Amino acid sequence: MPMKGRFPIRRTLEYLQKGEVVFKKSVNIMTVNYNTHGDLSEGARKFVFFNIPQIQYKNPWVQIMMFKNMTPSPFLRFYLGKSFVLLFFNLFSILWYLLVLLLCLDDGEQVLVDVEGKDHKEIMNHVKTILGKSDKVLEAEALAKMELSNPANFGPKRYFLRECISEVEGQVPHPGFVPLPKEMTGKYRAKLAAASDE
Amino acid sequence: MSTRQASVHAKWIIGQVIGTKMKKTAKVRVTRLVLDPYLLKYYNKRKTYFAHDPLEQCTVGDVVLLKALPEKRSKHVNHELEEIVYKVGQVVDPLTGKRVAGKQYLEPLTESTEVSLTEKLEQLNITASTPPSVS
Repeated sequence: MPMKGRFPIRRTLEYLQKGEVVFKKSVNIMTVNYNTHGDLSEGARKFVFFNIPQIQYKNPWVQIMMFKNMTPSPFLRFYLGKSFVLLFFNLFSILWYLLVLLLCLDDGEQVLVDVEGKDHKEIMNHVKTILGKSDKVLEAEALAKMELSNPANFGPKRYFLRECISEVEGQVPHPGFVPLPKEMTGKYRAKLAAASDE
Repeated sequence: MSTRQASVHAKWIIGQVIGTKMKKTAKVRVTRLVLDPYLLKYYNKRKTYFAHDPLEQCTVGDVVLLKALPEKRSKHVNHELEEIVYKVGQVVDPLTGKRVAGKQYLEPLTESTEVSLTEKLEQLNITASTPPSVS
């Protein structure tokens, strides 16, 4: 029973997670202008068809808008804006306020990328180099995320892998699942201790 | 409680103007791509925002860039008009800077140095003369 539609592989989680482009924090909006007919827009059309779902999956907070047949040549446009730094602490330090205000240069920059005649893979690579996080940064982030959750820790299922050492293969299981051998039960040991005392 | 820097989550948004009947306010429809959890396909989800437009320069159908205001202007208005990206009927191609309509350029791409036809005619200096009679 095959999946419906042409290229249904686009609609698999595995394909979406394979997206390479993770935008930098400053990118807010991405706009694609392309044409529905014409050879020069072919790359842009393929980009929209294949790669936009991947980009949106990896960047859920970036607004992506598509415009068709507005201009003769296709292009991409990115609207950047520095993210606000939340000031929920230190209301009394005016100097800190000023420093942060200077850093929050909210000037909306725009990046224009001409994609006329380009192949969709070229466009993807270009976007990755100009506005995407580099592989090193992504690896460092993944590493930091892994460091937060140490698999050696035990605790509630929501935060940790295992709740008790008894869940590990080769360790003594919980008596609720498998009855303990007689020698390990408390009452047998108590009986032995009482017998040895006497 | 410290003062909040911005009142909305969306700082910069782009959308199409759908109504200008309010004074100095534009009703903007913003579409975002939302993943359908079963089909795993992205669909446009609409949301309307109200934007403060002090000069009333928006018309219905413009594509507009909005910026979040630092504080709420009124109960519904949280954004202001930053820039009209594509004005309806007067779209300017950002690559060339010329006015464009669909796939055609309304202005010529190259500045032509050729003399126009009317000027050429004047140069030829044709005077009206009696046409030769056809026998």
